[in-house]
Amino acid sequence: MNLRERVTGETLALAGLVLLLVLLPSLATAFFVNFVMTQTLILGLAAATIVFLARYGGMTSLAQLLMFGIAGFMFGNAALDGGARGLNLGWHPWAAVVFAIVVTTLVAFVLGAIASRTTGIYFLMLTLVYGVIGYFVFAQIVEISGPGGITSIQRPDLLGPPVRLYYAGLLLSVLAYVGFRAIRRTAFGLALQGVRDDPVRMASLGFNVPLHRALAFTLAGFAAGLAGLLNVWWNGQIDPASISIGPTLILLIIAVIGGISSLEGAWLGAFVYVLVFTYLRDLPLVDRIGITEARFNTVIGVIVLAIMVLSPEGLTGIARRLPVRTTRKELGGTRA
Amino acid sequence: MASVVQVRAVTVAFGGLRALRGVDLDIAQGERLAVIGPNGAGKTTLFNVIAGDIAPTAGAVVIRGQDCTYRPSRHRPRLGLARTYQKARAFSGLTVRENIYLALAGHRGRHRALWRSPADRAMSDEAGEVADRVWLSAQLDTVAGELAHGQRRQLELAMAIATRPDVMLLDEPASGLSRGERERLVDLLESFDERLTLLLIEHDMDVAFRIAQRVVVMADGEQVMAGTPEQVRADPHVHRIYLGTEAAA
Repeated sequence: MNLRERVTGETLALAGLVLLLVLLPSLATAFFVNFVMTQTLILGLAAATIVFLARYGGMTSLAQLLMFGIAGFMFGNAALDGGARGLNLGWHPWAAVVFAIVVTTLVAFVLGAIASRTTGIYFLMLTLVYGVIGYFVFAQIVEISGPGGITSIQRPDLLGPPVRLYYAGLLLSVLAYVGFRAIRRTAFGLALQGVRDDPVRMASLGFNVPLHRALAFTLAGFAAGLAGLLNVWWNGQIDPASISIGPTLILLIIAVIGGISSLEGAWLGAFVYVLVFTYLRDLPLVDRIGITEARFNTVIGVIVLAIMVLSPEGLTGIARRLPVRTTRKELGGTRA
Repeated sequence: MASVVQVRAVTVAFGGLRALRGVDLDIAQGERLAVIGPNGAGKTTLFNVIAGDIAPTAGAVVIRGQDCTYRPSRHRPRLGLARTYQKARAFSGLTVRENIYLALAGHRGRHRALWRSPADRAMSDEAGEVADRVWLSAQLDTVAGELAHGQRRQLELAMAIATRPDVMLLDEPASGLSRGERERLVDLLESFDERLTLLLIEHDMDVAFRIAQRVVVMADGEQVMAGTPEQVRADPHVHRIYLGTEAAA
């Protein structure tokens, strides 16, 4: 199978999948659409920002859930009027959306600029520190949140019915997927991959490597902020615990399950995570073998372990290897 | 002839190790200069200082009249300087075309565009033409990580010549190449515009002496001598420290 055939095949498969997702509300139960799939799209979008930074920029970020949370907190502070906590600015919901995204993007730029001179484990640790600081900022500053978070957050009227939130999640996911894929071929995307492969060489070619890293981090923060808005509309509330270390690691695990080098893997990993989270407890007899709700994280850990052993590239890595094996078999064991 | 690169009393110390000790060097416009010396002589450190990858502990670097001593390497392409590295540093996840495209984009300031314009397509076509000059046109869409060693060196050279620099620093361009590849390399270097200033580190004396008009010999971080290839070849001190006394006999 040559590259063009493969690209066309992949494109057709993804287009078919999107069509299926568009039709899903008329094919599946409201619970599956509005709980399982909406959550999948939200978490997938957030995890895709981790994949974008890791795959194209060589930066594994643990701060994406912080961006996700900042957008939610900012929306809650700006849109709520007369709530128990927060600034209660009482702005129009769409003004609050703009405010939330602008603040999130600016924070991402500043944090990205600070982190841009670090690489590898140091970048990972620094972004983890961002997450921890962010948690304490929202947990301890009661004017913007406090430990109980912000509750009773309403979504804009346009997204009133739950199925519209599902479609909003689908639209933003498709845009993010197509956008991130398209960026790969642009000057910015190619330079980002150059920075990933050899930052010293990139500097010698005239590129400002730290600024490039910071801008990529900003772009990822912007997209994570969009996911955070969807999340706060879906949940109706946000609290600091939802951006603590546990959920931060879960978002990374979602990216790893799907395959951290594959954009589509972000949504696949989110789907598996939400499926397990939602249906594990309902499986017959699983409690007899000690798998209870309290041991959910253990189950997820075992799944991650199994996937990492089978394929370090996650579920998409397994999926991509299958047709290749078939092709080699058809060719009598010779390489195409 | 006016100096295009001036190195003034440059010293580089890594802790207690002095990799360069007060090196002075003037390189004229259009000059072909080879720097030779045994391993550890400080040749690559000198290159790194000129290219801005390392800031000197003392001394100054002036390129085209501008003091660049502490300016980072990313400013060098604007001054018309391009370099290759001792160990080929192509972007292994990108194709040959994309590698050369990045060299062009870096030089022309197209760094952060989030869409592909006609200028990008023109640069992409230009990358194909540059690849042809270094005999890589058949590998245009091959990922650099899959290239053979010699091809990676050719790609390095392509990335350097793509920007049509005024000054080119080549760090052991013939290293690891077969005899045939070296011949092609020499032919290519000899075909460069005579206004191009070429600074070359090379262990292969045949290549270095065929290309260079002037040869600088370094040892222990210092310049030992400088002269024409014939003068260097005949100097007994050079034989002793670099070529070996037996060769002198």
